[in-house]
Amino acid sequence: MTDDALWYEAALVVGITNALNVVADAPLEALEPADTSPEVEAVYAEIRAFYERAVPAAFRRLAGDPGYLADVWAATRRAFSDNRLPRPFKEALAFAVSVTTRSAFGTEFHLHELRRLGVGERGVLEVLGVTQMFSSYTKIADTLQLEPDMHGLAPVDRTPAPGGEARPAPERAEAP
Amino acid sequence: MPPTVRLRDASEYPDPAHKLFELGKRWFNYDFTEPPAMSRVMAWDPEFGGPHGRAMKRAMGPGEFTRAEKEMVAAVVSGVNACAY
Repeated sequence: MTDDALWYEAALVVGITNALNVVADAPLEALEPADTSPEVEAVYAEIRAFYERAVPAAFRRLAGDPGYLADVWAATRRAFSDNRLPRPFKEALAFAVSVTTRSAFGTEFHLHELRRLGVGERGVLEVLGVTQMFSSYTKIADTLQLEPDMHGLAPVDRTPAPGGEARPAPERAEAP
Repeated sequence: MPPTVRLRDASEYPDPAHKLFELGKRWFNYDFTEPPAMSRVMAWDPEFGGPHGRAMKRAMGPGEFTRAEKEMVAAVVSGVNACAY
C-alpha cells in the first residue's frame, strides 16, 4: 500500500460514503419524489444494476434534481468500481467508515454489499475488529494529545499525478 | 498543542515494558530510536496494554483481508475520527 494512487482511491471512497450516509440518515423522506422523470429512471436503472437491489434512499432523495443525481451517481460508481483497489475492499472501507460514523444506513448498506460481493463472516469481523481497535487508539491518542511520530515508516511516492510529468526528487538539504 | 502528559522515555520504564517495545519494533519492522508514543502509552499499564495489543494484532493479522488492507482500514478509521496521530 505504498503507492499514493491507492490512498487517493481510498479517500474518494471515504468521502462519497460519508456524503451518501449524511443524506440517507437524515429525516429527508419528504424529498423523495413520488413520480420520476425518464432522466431519473435512466440513472435509477444504472444504480439497480450496480447494486442488484432497489435504489437506496441516498439516491432517491436527490431525484428532485436529475442533473445533480446523475453527477453524484457517476462519482459514486467511479469511486466504488474495481480499479487499483478491488470493489469488495472498497466496501470494507465504506463499512468501516459507516460503523465509525454511526451511520445506520451506511452500516446496513455496506454490510449487505460486503456479503453480496463474497466477503465472509470472518472478513466482516476482521473489518469490525480493526474499526474497533483503531476507534480505541484514536481516542487514547486524542485524549493525551499525542503528536504523530511514525511518519518515517512509509516511503514517499514520487510518481506524478495521472497524466502528469515526473519531477526529480528534491535534493536533501545538507547539514550545516 | 503539546501532549496532555509527559511521555516518558523508554529508559524510564521497567524491564518488562522493554519486551513490549521490542514486540512493537518487530510488529512495525522498523528500528525506532525511541518507541512510538502509543507504545509508551500502552506500556504504562501492561494489564491494559497487553490484552489491547494482542487484540489489535489479532485484528490486524492476515485473514480474508491482508495486513496491508487492514492498515488502510485503520488509517481510514483514524481519519474519520479526525485523529492526527
